[in-house]
Amino acid sequence: MSAVIEVPARLDEASFEQVAAGFARSEGAAKVIVDAHACEWISPFGLTGLLAAGQALAERHGSRPLFTVPAERDVAHFWARMGFFTQAAETYEIHGTVPRVRAGESKVLLEVTPVRQAEDVHAVVHHIQEKSAEILTSELGLDAKATMGFGMALSEACQNIVEHAGTSGWVAVHSYSWRKLGKRVVVIAVADAGVGFRQTLEPSQAKRVGERWGDGAALEAAVLQSVSRFRDPGRGQGLAGIRRYLGRWQGKISIRSGTARIAIIPPWDEDTPLIENLAPFPGAQVQLVIPAEAQAAR
Amino acid sequence: MITQIDVRGVLARVGPDWPDRRDLVTRHTGRAVRSSIETELALLSGRTVVVLDFSAVRIIDCSCADEIVAKLVLSSLVSESSLDAFFVIRGLDDDQMDDIDEVLRRQRLVLVAEVGGALRLIGEVADEARLTFEYLANHGTAGAEELAVELARPLDAVRATLDELYLRRVLLRDSGCYRAPTVAA
Repeated sequence: MSAVIEVPARLDEASFEQVAAGFARSEGAAKVIVDAHACEWISPFGLTGLLAAGQALAERHGSRPLFTVPAERDVAHFWARMGFFTQAAETYEIHGTVPRVRAGESKVLLEVTPVRQAEDVHAVVHHIQEKSAEILTSELGLDAKATMGFGMALSEACQNIVEHAGTSGWVAVHSYSWRKLGKRVVVIAVADAGVGFRQTLEPSQAKRVGERWGDGAALEAAVLQSVSRFRDPGRGQGLAGIRRYLGRWQGKISIRSGTARIAIIPPWDEDTPLIENLAPFPGAQVQLVIPAEAQAAR
Repeated sequence: MITQIDVRGVLARVGPDWPDRRDLVTRHTGRAVRSSIETELALLSGRTVVVLDFSAVRIIDCSCADEIVAKLVLSSLVSESSLDAFFVIRGLDDDQMDDIDEVLRRQRLVLVAEVGGALRLIGEVADEARLTFEYLANHGTAGAEELAVELARPLDAVRATLDELYLRRVLLRDSGCYRAPTVAA
């Protein structure tokens, strides 16, 4: 029997839970269809999350899931400009008309880009600094110093895939208007369908934490205590570096892994620091939000 | 002796396929850069102030900083080679300096940094030790007795601080007098 995972009309970090729930429900299905025909808006988190879902479905079912392209022409065109379909062709069997994008047409900060190895991280950081730094500073009013730190945070977020995921993942960067904040934000989304935080930290942390051990405790250990699976005391610095950067520029980080989600929340946002008992979804999905015109907090 | 190492130049050497790279990112790259620097240092011997110049580097992430800076400092503390290395870093902006400060604190390390032409300590170090270092960085060479008077601290405490800073490779010592690394090697 087939299962359908419906992509919400507006797919962002919050509504991705519907995709995760659909992923969990479809476990026994012979074939899975990820139906995005009614989707009207998508964030970088949504784009990278859908690719992670495709990767996880293909692995779980042994064949590529079907994917239905958004019906709205402009929406599909945006997805194409974000490079989604180029990447999705490897994980999904795509149904529907994929718009063509002329070379040089895309002006997004960073298209959906695969991250498999350290060289990919270099390429992503180089692209942002060479091609997008001007947009970050002139159009979004991001302080020039924030732009430099942006590359550092982007690098550390991508390295989590290379160092810990045990598989490949994707990164995308885009700017859009954040309704709660009433201004534009720059958003980095990084997602994989790999082993996730709990499995990564279990050998070294499960016993220490005891009964409370789970996805939430693993996220707390990694994000709040900078714990790493390595014995080297120098490890575990990446997320700490991201937190410092976001602290300087009033940014926000949230990470979903397994059945939990953790967020470090700036004063301009309302969110829940830790949510547990979510629908299980493999790997880790990270979102960094930096407000445009951000001024250093110090 | 003073040895200057252009870290961006090292980066270009370890990644010749991409000669315009200016970003020190990823542990993988950090390990390659450190290894190249260690090879360069293996040719040296005796007391040497090694200035790691990051001026031409655009981005340095914490993972890469740990692999290069923290691990070079760590190895200088336990090295049994003929090189007696004292590391100094320069050419980083305030945020990058803060990040490296945290990287060092995590491993309870301390390092001399040149910031705006002045020397200061970054990493984990007690306030008294920091003040002692700054006095020497500003005034040149001094012995424990002189410092005890100038800093209005007990002589034994000053001696202990100076020994600690010397053992942590941020002060040089000659005939019972101490000085900060780049004054003269």
